[in-house]
Amino acid sequence: MIGLVVFSILSVLVHDLLKAAISLAAASIFLALLFFRMNATYAGVFEISVVAGLITVLFITAIALTRSDEHVQESKYHLLVFPLFFLALVIIDILVMKNLLGKIPAVTSPETGTFGEILWKERSFDLIGQIGVIFAGVLAVLALFRSRIKSQQGGKHE
Amino acid sequence: MNNFLILNMGAAALLIGIGIYCLLTMKNMVKLLIGIEIIAKGVTLALVATGMTKNNLMLAQSLVISVIVVDVAVIATALAIIISINRHTKSLDVRKLTKLKG
Repeated sequence: MIGLVVFSILSVLVHDLLKAAISLAAASIFLALLFFRMNATYAGVFEISVVAGLITVLFITAIALTRSDEHVQESKYHLLVFPLFFLALVIIDILVMKNLLGKIPAVTSPETGTFGEILWKERSFDLIGQIGVIFAGVLAVLALFRSRIKSQQGGKHE
Repeated sequence: MNNFLILNMGAAALLIGIGIYCLLTMKNMVKLLIGIEIIAKGVTLALVATGMTKNNLMLAQSLVISVIVVDVAVIATALAIIISINRHTKSLDVRKLTKLKG
């Protein structure tokens, strides 16, 4: 858990984007280990394969494609502001969390059945939504890259 | 078990706070996406911790998988938009995206 929070902070504070993406992948691996410790194996496997694998590859590809000489100037006060913000967050967290957790409603009946049964029978509407989101994402990426190829071809003709 | 839930929910709240800080202060577009990713990590941790404590781990895992799938679609689309913007402005700075500004 400490590794997860530390690597998340590193990915925010590190200036180099490549190092930030790798820190994010390391944080994902720590989160997956936490899932495995909680017996949530399916979530852990998804976290490692999709978030630590696929999303990191996407980030690194995008960083490689957008490498420019210009350095984005961030605020100079990060090293001063972030510890104060983090400290305030921890104090609020400790004060609020205990009171909030008592209000989580109890589950009426403990679940029965395997992961597959619950995913296919109870959450089938979610699956339709997920398929829709994936198609929308694919179409958006295709549309963005196709318009760029067209504009490049137009530039060559001129 | 309750202490375990408090610890995990505290970590989840910290992750969401770090992600919001990143979204509010960073100027680099890729860093903003990293902030969104950190918030998604906090949400998944909160879901699994609550599912485990309330004896509903399978349902929590199915919700986590939904979150991860939606997250991947969002990140892929946003990175494609960032690459497209970078070809036009030659920069990753959000302050240079002022063409729609009145």
